[in-house]
Amino acid sequence: MARHNLRTVVQFEFIRTIKKRRFWIATLAIPVLLGIVFGLVFASSSSTQSRSEAQKNQTLPFTYTDASGLVDPKLATAMGGAPEQDPGTAVERVKEGKLNAWFSFPASLKAEPVRVYGADQGIFKNGTYDAVAKQLMVLSAQEKVGSAELTAAVQGNFSTESQTFKDGQVSGGLETVVPPLLFLVLFYVVIILLANQMLASTLEEKENRVTEMILTTLNPTTLVVGKVISLFLVGAVQALVFASPMLLGYVFFREQLALPDFDLSHLQFQFLPMLVGALLFVGGFILFTGVLVGIGAVMPTAKDASAVFAPVMIMMFIPFYIVSMVVSDPGSLIVQIFTYFPFTAPITAMLRNAFGSLSGVSAAIVIAELFVFGILALRVAVHLFRYGSIEYSRKLSLRAAFAKKT
Amino acid sequence: MRFGAKQVVDGLSFDVVRGETFGFLGSNGSGKTTTIRALLGIYRPTSGTLEINGKVFSDDFGARLGYLPEERGLYKKESVRDVMGYFGRLKGMSKAAANDFCRQFLDRVDLADKAELRVDKLSGGEQQKIQLGVTIMNEPELLILDEPTKGFDPVNRRLLMDIIEERKQAGATVMMVTHQMEEVERLCDRIILLKDGRAEAYGTIDEVQNQFGGRTIRLKYSGMIPQSPKYQVTLQETNYAELALEDSVDESDVLRDLVLAGVVVRGFVAAKRSLDDIFMQVYGEAPGAEHGSSGPVHSRPGRGRAA
Repeated sequence: MARHNLRTVVQFEFIRTIKKRRFWIATLAIPVLLGIVFGLVFASSSSTQSRSEAQKNQTLPFTYTDASGLVDPKLATAMGGAPEQDPGTAVERVKEGKLNAWFSFPASLKAEPVRVYGADQGIFKNGTYDAVAKQLMVLSAQEKVGSAELTAAVQGNFSTESQTFKDGQVSGGLETVVPPLLFLVLFYVVIILLANQMLASTLEEKENRVTEMILTTLNPTTLVVGKVISLFLVGAVQALVFASPMLLGYVFFREQLALPDFDLSHLQFQFLPMLVGALLFVGGFILFTGVLVGIGAVMPTAKDASAVFAPVMIMMFIPFYIVSMVVSDPGSLIVQIFTYFPFTAPITAMLRNAFGSLSGVSAAIVIAELFVFGILALRVAVHLFRYGSIEYSRKLSLRAAFAKKT
Repeated sequence: MRFGAKQVVDGLSFDVVRGETFGFLGSNGSGKTTTIRALLGIYRPTSGTLEINGKVFSDDFGARLGYLPEERGLYKKESVRDVMGYFGRLKGMSKAAANDFCRQFLDRVDLADKAELRVDKLSGGEQQKIQLGVTIMNEPELLILDEPTKGFDPVNRRLLMDIIEERKQAGATVMMVTHQMEEVERLCDRIILLKDGRAEAYGTIDEVQNQFGGRTIRLKYSGMIPQSPKYQVTLQETNYAELALEDSVDESDVLRDLVLAGVVVRGFVAAKRSLDDIFMQVYGEAPGAEHGSSGPVHSRPGRGRAA
């Protein structure tokens, strides 16, 4: 019967949420906004591309003087340049608009800057002069070196592949950090998307005066757990809807949208950090859910509940203020406190787990702590709901709720 | 049963027998709703036990119980059909059975065309009917109704009474809190009267009437009713009065005295004291004067049993 009721609650709560027009308006608003932003990026990216294609075929008319002797006249001519015949008046002619641009290459590039004078073309296009002057010098130098390999070496245009070892095993770099961090992202998404609904989940029974009928029909634990599961499913639907335009954009329009090219094949999914990340995620989810449902059971209205809700959410974000310490100095006192304090533990421990600074013992303690406190919070939430939610229009007295007898 | 320093129900003991209709009577704050909530595990009794079929209430009773609480409420943003379907499923009905029941019930209470409407689009009385429908889904063995007719007009009150009567005929045990003595007299086999957390009376209607001193004369008349040690005037309206007789007085003596005193008697009915009178005597007010509840009862300390 309990399983039947749980299924019934999950089905009812899930279907009635996703049937609401308001839900879809809120859920689709983000992808629609993303779509609009992507569309704008796509449009401006296309026009930038065609403009730069057009600019590629254009030459910039300029004159130059070369005291260094490094500039290759052929290259300069190809780029639209010509040697300056009268350097003394060149700046004046640029000022008067009689000359487009003049580059003065000094005898020593190390000691002096290349002086660039040009007619104003607007704040963004003025950079072209510097770029052309620099490009002319780079290409001329490459020409003099005469070796592409040497040039690449000098410029640092080459890649490295490194491997480090820890305890006889390959210890990855960022490739190993990213996968466990996905749990952190997932945790944030789930809590941010669902927190308000968790808070309001039992408020509805109170506000609608339906608590007594519910309490005499099914076990409150079944109701609360059913609501949490349905919220999770609702969150999954929302996450899918949010993620789909990004995935579609990344897969089919990555270049047009100027998205970075992630090489996901380099990611390393290590078993233990992933397991710890998953357990921290589940434990943290249970803890926050229990607390939020409990707040909802105590408070008479959503408005009252939101006042208490804010500090809980702030505690969730606090670890990000010390994220640099979490990464660089995980042994510091503040990081240790945040690692073990239940409300800051999920985020801090997930960060440390990803960066490899959470020892096995610490991980076990934090996971156990989150599960214990989480289950305790859920039990308290159920208790508060059972004995507190018929205080329909009043804030529940915790003393009364926890008194052994009424 | 105690809330803080206040003793709300004190030394109450009663039994409700399987298949009977049991009336919970009492004024505001007399402990009726508190007792029912304690019986259903919503409150925890300070001492004593409340049992259904010899067991303290647990979730297993849910499917066999129909409870219409004093605080009315349903999921207001959902359709009537969805709400009834949900509760039907929770009470162990199949989806099809819940739908069938929903259709038949809505037909019966003239709400068939409102099945797809959201509950908050219905009037208060219509919502009450839906809640009653939810209460009697899956043919509960035990019906607990806290002021079931509150907010109903006379037509719908009659309909509701018929439905309760049907459940009774089908063998269900019914416990009802009510201020309507007409309902009590029509439906209840036994009653309990609560005052300040104690039972003032407990038994069949006859027993309770006997307990409060038996006989009343309902008099239609004109003239002046004289004062007399043989009776007390308990109700006096234009051309109508009710007289509570002293124990040893014969009704015919009273009639003769009235006629001799010049009262023109147009109607003279000797009857047991009405529950209204008894209510007035116990609480000092008319039964319908107060609404709501939460209070006490008494009889034998610390036990309550249903069905």
